[in-house]
This record gives sequence, C-alpha cells and structure tokens, in this order.
Amino acid sequence: MEMNSINSWLQASVRLAAPLMLVSVGGVYTERVGIVNIGMEGMMLAGALVSVAASFFTGNVVIGAICAMMAGGLLAVVHAYLTVPRRASQLISGLAINLVALGLTDFGYARLFSTERARVATFPVLSPPEWHGVPFFGPVIFAQPVVVWIALILPLVSAWVLYRTSWGLNIRAVGEHPHAVASAGLSVFRLKYVGVILSGVFAGLGGSALAQAELGYFAPNMTGGRAFVVLAALVVGKWNPIVVAAVCMLFGAADALQLRIQTFGAIIPYQFPVMMPYLLTIAALAGFVGRTVPPKTLGVPYDPESY
Amino acid sequence: MSERKTIELPGLRGLVLSGARPILAVILALVVSAGLIWAAGANPIEAYAALLEGSFGSVAALANTGVRAAPLLLAGLAVGLGFKAGMWNIGGEGQMYLGAAAATAVGLIPLPVPAWLHLLLAVMAGFAGGVLWALVPAYLRAYRGVSEVVTTLMLNYVAGYLVSWLLHEPSPLAEKGAFYPMSPPILPSAHLPILVKGTSLHAGLILAVVLGVVLHLVLRYTAFGFRTRTVGGNPEAARYAGVGVARQIFVVLLVCGGLGGLAGVGEVLGLKLRLFDYFVGGVGYEGLALAILANGNPLGVILGGVFFGSLKAGASKMQIVTGIEASMALVIEALTVLFIIAIGFGERVRLTRREQRKSRAEEGVAHGNELHQ
Repeated sequence: MEMNSINSWLQASVRLAAPLMLVSVGGVYTERVGIVNIGMEGMMLAGALVSVAASFFTGNVVIGAICAMMAGGLLAVVHAYLTVPRRASQLISGLAINLVALGLTDFGYARLFSTERARVATFPVLSPPEWHGVPFFGPVIFAQPVVVWIALILPLVSAWVLYRTSWGLNIRAVGEHPHAVASAGLSVFRLKYVGVILSGVFAGLGGSALAQAELGYFAPNMTGGRAFVVLAALVVGKWNPIVVAAVCMLFGAADALQLRIQTFGAIIPYQFPVMMPYLLTIAALAGFVGRTVPPKTLGVPYDPESY
Repeated sequence: MSERKTIELPGLRGLVLSGARPILAVILALVVSAGLIWAAGANPIEAYAALLEGSFGSVAALANTGVRAAPLLLAGLAVGLGFKAGMWNIGGEGQMYLGAAAATAVGLIPLPVPAWLHLLLAVMAGFAGGVLWALVPAYLRAYRGVSEVVTTLMLNYVAGYLVSWLLHEPSPLAEKGAFYPMSPPILPSAHLPILVKGTSLHAGLILAVVLGVVLHLVLRYTAFGFRTRTVGGNPEAARYAGVGVARQIFVVLLVCGGLGGLAGVGEVLGLKLRLFDYFVGGVGYEGLALAILANGNPLGVILGGVFFGSLKAGASKMQIVTGIEASMALVIEALTVLFIIAIGFGERVRLTRREQRKSRAEEGVAHGNELHQ
C-alpha cells in the first residue's frame, strides 16, 4: 500500500473503533460489578437514534450526545432494576432490551422522519487542517472529530479510576466478592446499579458517535452487533479498560480493512477480516490466547441473604 | 412454583401449560403497545382489528401467519430444548445460515434420485449443517466448561459472513451476475411441497409442529428426556444419578444446532427457493424470545410461535390500514419478553418472602415451645 491509502486506512480504523471503545468503557464497569449487559447493543442503537433526533431538533451535536447518554442510561436502569434487586436472568433482560430498542427505534425513526432521511450535523474536527498531514498522528488523532478524542482519552481515565481510586477498588471488589463489600459496610446494590448505568450511558454515547462521528444520519439497526463485538473485546482484553480499548482498536482496524478490500479488491475475501474478532473471542475463551479469568461473580445474581 | 396458576387440560395427561404468566405478559404488552399506537396518532382498536384481519381474517392471511410462524417455531424449539438442559443456545441465527447453506448446496445438485429422496437429503443436510455449527460451542461447553452463551453468539456473525462469502463469486454457490448476492434457484425436486394452492404456505410448518410434539414427548417420556431435564434441573444430582452430564450437554446442544439448521432449511427450500445474503434477519433472536415466553416447553413454543407469526403477518395489514409501522410487531414481541421476566421474578420474590416468613414463624413457634417447656 502506498502512503495515502495507509493514512486513510489508519484514519478509518480509529474512526470505526471509536464507538466500540466508548461502549467498552461502560462494558468494563458493568462486568466488573458482575452484571453481563447484552442489552448494550440496544442501548447503543437507542443512543444513535436519540442523538440524531435531538441534534435534528436542536441543531446541536453536544445536546444530541447528552440525550443519547440519558437514553442509554435510562434503558440501563431497567436492566439494573431487573437484574440487581429482582435477580432476573441478565441474559433475558439484556435480550429483551435489545428487542425493545430494535423495535422502538425502527418505529420511532419512521415516525419522526417519515418523508426523508434526516441529515444532521456531525461532531466537529477541532484541530487546524494543516496538522492533518502529520505522519501517523495526523490521520490517527488530528483529523478525527472530537468524539473520537473522547473515545481515546476515556479508557485511560477509566483505568485510573478503576485501579487508582478507592471507589474503583469497590467496583472491582463487588464483582469478585460482593459479600465482603457488604461486610465492609458498602451498598452492593448501589455499586451494581452504578456499574450497569455507566454501561448504558457509554453505550448511548457510543451510539451517538456511530451516527454522528462521520455519517450524520440514523439507519434502522445501524449498530448491527457492534456492542457484541465489545463483549468480545472484554473477554479478549481481560476486563482491563486499556487493553480492552486496544482490542477494540484492533477490531476497528479489521473493519476498516474489510471496507478497503470491498472497494479495491484483494486476495482475501472481505468477509474474513470481520470474522476475526468473533473467532478470536472463541479462541480466547477456549484458552488458546492466554488465560481469561472473568470477574468471579459475573452473571451470578447477588442475594444478600444467602451466604 | 406456580402450581395454583397452571391449567390442566382434560384428557391430555401431562399437557400442563403454566399459562397464567405468558398470557398476562402478552396482555400487558398489547396494552402498552396500544398506548404507543395511540400516542402515534392512530386508533389502537382499529389497529389491532387490522392486525387480526391480516393474520387470521382469510385463507391467505392464515397461510401468511403459518409462513411466518414456521421458522420461528423451529428457532424457538432450538432454544427451548437447550433451556430444558439449562443451556442457552443463542446461536439460532448462525445455525439457520449454515443449515440453509447446506440444504441449498444439496438442493442445487441434480441427483439421480426420486424427488422425495432429494428433498429428504437436502433437509438432512440442513440439519447436519446446524449440528456442525453447534459442534464447537457444544464441545467447549460440555468438556471445557466454556459458557455457550458467548461462543454461540459470536458464531452467529461468523456464519453470516461465511454464507455471504459463499454467495459471492467465485464461489460455486453464487449466482453469476446477480444484482444481490444469492444462490442459483434450488431445483424443484428439493422444494418443500406447498400446502394450500395459491399461497406460499409450505410443509416446513408441518415439520415444525411435528417436531415440537415429538420433542415434547421425548422430553417427557424417554430416558433421553429425563436425563436432559435432570441435567437442567440439578447437574450435581444428575451426576449422582449416573447421568453422563458432559455427554448429555454435548448431545443436547448438537440437537439444538440441528433444529436451528432446520429453521433455515424451511426458509430456503419452502419459501425463498434461493439462498440470499443475510436472509435470516433476526429470526434466531426472535426464536430466543419465543422460547423464553414458552419457558422452553415445546408445546408452548408452538402456541407462542403462532402468536408471533400472526403478529408479523398482521403487521403489514395494520400498516396499510392505520399507517402504524410493521415494526410494531417486534415491539410487542419484545415487551412480552420484558413483562415475562418482570412478572416471573416478582412472583419468585414474593414466594421466597412468603417462605421466609413461614420458616421464621415456624422457628418462632419452635423457639416459643422451647421457652415454655
């Protein structure tokens, strides 16, 4: 590949990885508190529609993003309520939320924009255009819209919170040994609620980034399983925010490669690079790629009275 | 856990439908959806009337309901069987792709055999395709203890891309110069027969219903069924009872995969008559919703499948009459599942509380007696 196409591939990789990285930030928290949230897919989709709709009516991308985070957070409250105090199956709850979001976004989209596909503003690129030509950093950072910068910074912040603050220690402890957290006088339910709601908030933001980092519109089911890719990244990245984000970056690069192959043709079929994240996850789970040790009570409901 | 609320149908020993919970969930979902329809500016009664007419109002409507129900039923059974063994087969989507691809491959070869045998071979190939797709998750779950949830989910996407690759030239399955990636038309000898002339209702529905009944009988009356239920109920107890738990899980997941494969088979051999790129479009996940609604019971899956099928069939009529988008069907399905868990776990929490109160009361009584002695 010549320099130009490498640059455009790098740029596309980071841009496609950004929504995944944003979702992964929340994904780490929910799984660290022991709650699997398959519903992030639906929360991301809801975020995408709400973001586009709010931007359309207010003309402001930032308000769109905030509304998207609120929409995702709201759906996450449902998931948290059903799975934490009610101890419902995390899988069923997440699945139901996905279906609800899929149906409602389809319905809402057709209702709101029945006549034409609404075009809305995208996130602005803040750096001056002459910086975009800088080797590597140009395409990877400077030419990216501001939401991608957020996606690049958040995993670092999240790792600092998780490993360097006492609140982060509490979060990590809840998923490992909730009864110990309870004996320390902390509210297990509250920590779990916060973890799950964070996953919804960031899934919503991820949806906003998906719709408005570059495209500027919503399409039904536009997430197309991206949050599941994040679930995969959590396994491969072993629930460490920075490693998980790096894995998301890798998956984004594979996605960008796929698009390039589809456009320009190559020896390998374009379907193969996009299969990679899923196959890698299965390999990781099967123990071929190092040992993956999930948070100890991941997926297990917390019952304060049984010990 | 809800003995009082079960409906025992007379004359059918063992046919017990724990009906109260799903029916209540369906009613709640319909009520909430009516609110949405009303908020969208249409008359809910008018909308539901159109939905009913579009799903049960005429022969064509009934046939359409059957066509929609067939893949849902099989996909639901593929999840439901796993349910009974405590397994989550989320891979229906992928198994449908592989089953359909295998059936298509056989259906495209002009075999020197009678038509019924060609059809049978194609259907069996589809079953085998689904089994093959479940092989890795089943092995990992049974013998390596890797959760089947993530592996089956991930393989759905691999299957979608794999089949997509098979439908792009230069693959032998790809139609040359097609406007959309698809296979050449399947040979008529491998078509599933049409049940009602002038409609697209095909024998896949009969296959699904028969398999549902067979599965019900197998689960209830055979050693295989007993082992499956024991493994699902209490693996430790099953081990003590001498059940090969790992082997049972392995076999059950493979059969689940096969059933998922058959769901894809019906779509290509009965309805679409070609294999299209990304043709499944979420039916596997709807099957999952269906199995949850039916709590994994095969007969419940049949009933629920007809309900889901009628929603999908009637939704287009509803759209024509009231302008309410057909995606409302999916909203109703999804809300049903949401209410199922909300109701079910409310029930459980109340029950545990009642038990606790009872045991506390008993303890109190015992304690009191001690004091008085």
